[in-house]
Amino acid sequence: MVERSVDEALLLLRKRLCDLHFIFSVFSDSPDSNYSKLKFIVSSSVTEACNNSLLLLGPRGCGKIAVLDLVLEDLLKEYPDMISVIKLNGLLHCDDNCALKEIARQLCIEHELMFSKVASYDDNSQFMIAMLRECGLAHKTVVFVLDEFDLFAQGKQRLLYSLLDAMQSVSSQAVVIGVSCRLDADQLLEKRVRSRFSHRKLLFLPPQKDDLQRLLKHILLLPTDSNLSRDYVTDFNSRISNIIADKRFIEITDKLTDSDCTVSNFMRFLFSAVSCIDSKSGYMTLENFKSALSTIQRQPKLDCLKDCSILELYIMVCMKRLEVKEQESYNFNSVMKEYKTIHDSFKTSDYYSHNVCLRAFEHLLDRQLVEFADRGHNQCIEYRSVKLLISHSELHQGLKSNRSCPVSYLKTCMI
Amino acid sequence: MPSIAVNTPSPHKRRLRSNSALIDNPAVNNTPSKSSSPVKSKSARRRVNDSPSTNRANVNNNNNNNNNNNNNKLPVKKLLDSLLDKPIWNPTESGQISAVKEALHASTAQSMVVCREEEQKRIVEFCRQCLVEEMAGSLYICGCPGTGKSLSMENVKGCLDVWAKETGGQLPDVLTINCTSLSSTSEIFNKILEKSQPNKKVNGRSAPLKQLQHLYSQKQQSPDAKMMLVIADELDYLITKDRVVLHDLFMLTTLPFSKVILIGIANAIDLADRFLPKLQSLNCKPTVVSFRSYSLDQIIMILKQRLMALPFVVFQPQALELCARKVAAASGDMRKALGICRGAIEILETELREDTCTSTLTSMVRVDHMAIALSKAYKSPIVDTIQSLPQHQQIVLCSAVKHFRKGKKDTTIGELNKFYIDVCKSTLIPPVGITELSCMCRVLGDQGILKLGQSRDDKLRRVTLQIDEADIIFALQGIRFFRNCLQ
Repeated sequence: MVERSVDEALLLLRKRLCDLHFIFSVFSDSPDSNYSKLKFIVSSSVTEACNNSLLLLGPRGCGKIAVLDLVLEDLLKEYPDMISVIKLNGLLHCDDNCALKEIARQLCIEHELMFSKVASYDDNSQFMIAMLRECGLAHKTVVFVLDEFDLFAQGKQRLLYSLLDAMQSVSSQAVVIGVSCRLDADQLLEKRVRSRFSHRKLLFLPPQKDDLQRLLKHILLLPTDSNLSRDYVTDFNSRISNIIADKRFIEITDKLTDSDCTVSNFMRFLFSAVSCIDSKSGYMTLENFKSALSTIQRQPKLDCLKDCSILELYIMVCMKRLEVKEQESYNFNSVMKEYKTIHDSFKTSDYYSHNVCLRAFEHLLDRQLVEFADRGHNQCIEYRSVKLLISHSELHQGLKSNRSCPVSYLKTCMI
Repeated sequence: MPSIAVNTPSPHKRRLRSNSALIDNPAVNNTPSKSSSPVKSKSARRRVNDSPSTNRANVNNNNNNNNNNNNNKLPVKKLLDSLLDKPIWNPTESGQISAVKEALHASTAQSMVVCREEEQKRIVEFCRQCLVEEMAGSLYICGCPGTGKSLSMENVKGCLDVWAKETGGQLPDVLTINCTSLSSTSEIFNKILEKSQPNKKVNGRSAPLKQLQHLYSQKQQSPDAKMMLVIADELDYLITKDRVVLHDLFMLTTLPFSKVILIGIANAIDLADRFLPKLQSLNCKPTVVSFRSYSLDQIIMILKQRLMALPFVVFQPQALELCARKVAAASGDMRKALGICRGAIEILETELREDTCTSTLTSMVRVDHMAIALSKAYKSPIVDTIQSLPQHQQIVLCSAVKHFRKGKKDTTIGELNKFYIDVCKSTLIPPVGITELSCMCRVLGDQGILKLGQSRDDKLRRVTLQIDEADIIFALQGIRFFRNCLQ
């Protein structure tokens, strides 16, 4: 009985984390939010039958397209036959011809007309202007969504000019919404196009710390009125509330948001935390979040170092010592000399032969932990200058995390 | 297409103070019958919940109500009313809001185009001369975007219509082309040929340009061949590398039996000099009419003229003046001024929605609304975005600024990593690795804050700052650490 609840709860949480509408509906209730502002602008254009244009700006993963989709969905429900939406993407429809063809095709689908694939650029553009005029007469607003707006602003900007020029005439009723992650997207426009584009910009910023708390509670707390068992739900929710208030959890989320505070990154983190839930116990723990953080902030070189053999570690330590001694360039032979001096001074037990060391060195080359510093292929491996590809602190950390690494290595490392 | 409104002024039309400036100035009025009444200025297009009778009824009711309620108003309101000559609007009535927004929309056709009378006169004179003498000619109109060039051309066409009807002269064929809609530059000749010979079949044998040249080099067979007025908008789209198309287009007007009056519109002032030097040697350089950017007074006059058509007062005069001042100082672009006024109305709307207990006294658009709308229009979102960047990205920007102060304005990601680690060490924040750093640089490059070059090796990509150093310092000044770091 408990296990079925756990499975259902996991399913519910995962579904929530993949549903952008659910996530961004948290931020949509205040009248100051971007959702309300966007809805006001688009709905007033629809009801007052005037043309409008605006830009949605913000870093990637902050919910621009998600909020726009929410707004359009709500408006389509409120005004069922009065809006048609045309979506273009700057990455897919980079050419003016391509973009116009796509506009014509989508208009045809919306209004159930036959689309001709052999229509020329001229035909498509006449068609678009005629359709805009027809829609204007029928009081239908056409909403153009231009994703990756800055890519449309490359080249001669003919598509943007013709769209915005069509909006300057009284007979059409259209809203052009540009979505871009470049903050200076409107500076990229030519002055003619910029003059026709209204100055309205909506800035989407990553959420602040208290907004993140609200979002966490909204997503992770299970609803009490679902068909999961009441006790399980209350237990689950109380544990989640305890974790959220814990100082260590706040440290974990701080570490995550200090390098990337966008909503999409945070959702990825929560998804991997939820996937780590132990199905036997059925509750979330702090450990889930810690392991989620380590999967997101992976250090591939450190993982590599964990699997190195002792001899390989030894070679890398010698190279580090040579670098610390400010030797500009060194090759395998100088590394061997250093190896011999360490062996002599510290009297370590294992001393491997030249060929074995060479084989270990080749392994390091394969794993890309060291590489050749020059480009030539004429000399053999021992004489070509090499360099370490990991920093000293990474090497130090790797030595600590390697299970078979004896303590004396650390001593030799710490010059 | 706006036709000239032949209207007898209604007997109830009060002489408004804002109107007096226009009527007293003799140069302004083209013809005395062009003043528009409130109803006429609405667009011909019907709106959703509208019928032709309701809005007129609304306006009449409004007038009647205000006349009746005059005695019941507060003394302050009466004073204001008498000062302003019109009642203050009621923003809760949606019909009024849409009427105002429509009046301020750039696409609303105007029956009278103010502040461009001089230029329009010149253009009409030129066309008339060409038509009377049946000679070809070329004219070049230049000006910054939003200075009323296309709008004036619509008016000129109307004026020529009127003139042709009055004098019984010949009305030319008008061909308006927007050169951005041409798929290739030489297609303009196709269109001219089609218009000049609509009944003849398109001769595919020789190029349209050659046909036109052939046509205009011989005496016309039919004596009543009409003149053709060609208006080419956005002329600089026809500029090719060898400038042949533009040359040939203007040369069409120099042929002995040409019937083309060419009017080209573009933004560059010196297009004629730079791209058509040969014409000067042939002594047929096009006449240049330049549309200067609007000044403060002109912007105020245009805004007032648009708002005059409404039966109520919406803006405080100081608010209009603030808007005009800012826009005139920035670009003189009329579309921007209209957009900012509409934005101010929306700000007022949101304010009224949030607190519902305000009297109509405060429902005019005030200077503070206009100031907010202006700051939204001219402010860049960069400062806000920098302030909301995650901490490590802010440290990256800070280390870039510090490093670029010393001289070289660009560096590689590997070098940037070193400075970043230094800054982190000075505050005991553990630095992230080089892969995370280059990820962050890529995110910043996406947003347009940094500019990244291409390279095989990630560490060797070149990095430069794309925004002003002063913006970064201003944005980060609230945090003590960055303030000290960037001193």
